[in-house]
Amino acid sequence: MTPSPILMRGVAKRFDSKPILDGLDWEVRQGQVVGLLGRNGAGKSTLMECLLGLRETDGGSIALFGESPDALSDATRARIGYVPQKSDLFDWMTPLQLLAYFKAMYPRWNDARVDGLLGRWGFDLALRNTPIRRLSGGEQQRLSIIRALGHEPELLVLDEPVSALDPAGRRDFLVELIEGVIERGTTVVFSTHILTDLERVALDVAFLKNGRIALQGDLGDLLDGAASEAEQGARTSRSLEQLFIEVTR
Amino acid sequence: MSSYASPLFSIVAGSPEPIYRQLVDQVRRLVAGRQLAAGDTLPSVRDVALQLAVNPMTVSKAYGLLELEGVLERRRGIGMVVAAHAGSTDGAGDRAALLRPTLERAAREARELELDPATVLSLFTQILKESA
Repeated sequence: MTPSPILMRGVAKRFDSKPILDGLDWEVRQGQVVGLLGRNGAGKSTLMECLLGLRETDGGSIALFGESPDALSDATRARIGYVPQKSDLFDWMTPLQLLAYFKAMYPRWNDARVDGLLGRWGFDLALRNTPIRRLSGGEQQRLSIIRALGHEPELLVLDEPVSALDPAGRRDFLVELIEGVIERGTTVVFSTHILTDLERVALDVAFLKNGRIALQGDLGDLLDGAASEAEQGARTSRSLEQLFIEVTR
Repeated sequence: MSSYASPLFSIVAGSPEPIYRQLVDQVRRLVAGRQLAAGDTLPSVRDVALQLAVNPMTVSKAYGLLELEGVLERRRGIGMVVAAHAGSTDGAGDRAALLRPTLERAAREARELELDPATVLSLFTQILKESA
């Protein structure tokens, strides 16, 4: 059996003395598309950063494709893509320089796909050669997504990937996610507060609350389950928004 | 709430109805209302997924459930088609049953608004005449 893309057991993380992750157990299996939900400050970004080895944890174990994030092999690192919520790194580079830099780090890089995305997502010649710090928030976010897709990862971790995008940009992103990522069987974990977007692409949702995954399941079943609890006769099922409020409150 | 129309289907994200069930209900209604006839080909899972910007597995799930119900049939090399007997035995009663979930929702909202049945029924009668 191949190891799951993500396996976390008893993971703890404190800031000062405040526990953010508190004995968290979580598994994401091959090919799952999971929406990670939680209130502001619940620790979604911290969870993702710990998961990827970008932050030290205070306890527990994490395995990415069976390997510890502290000691990932180059081969496993190349199987993972990450879009941070906000990145100030490399902002003195131009988009083309940034993409060339990342291309050199990976054994595989899909130039045609990257060029296609740059073209479709509004990066004309001038923009491709403009320092990243002078791009708008939305342009920086689109570039960050393109960068994370270039090496065709098998596990894609997205932290609020559409927060700076307008509705048309979000729709473009969703279609790319479906056509270029989900159709290939990529495992996807993403956090967002835009529940309507999440409902379109996530088959599973996981709620982070009090430092643990409080609830995880098939999104359709969770909405149907909410419906079956309702009084007989009237099908007063709950929307994802109502479910979010009930679970996280 | 956001909605997006495709040539055949439309969905509303953010509704209490899961997207797969919205698709199932729409196909049932289109077949019962003869807008889709026996032998008609459904758009591919991929086309629907990209048009509506939803996960292809969600469309697959809806088509699979409709196949189990006998509304759709899988044909090699063609894809999903409306089953030969689908809709043919549907009387007005069966078709009315398909409207029930929508009316149940309307009834609940009417109660929340404390409207009396006569007002609601006359409004519905008026709406039926408007769209006829």
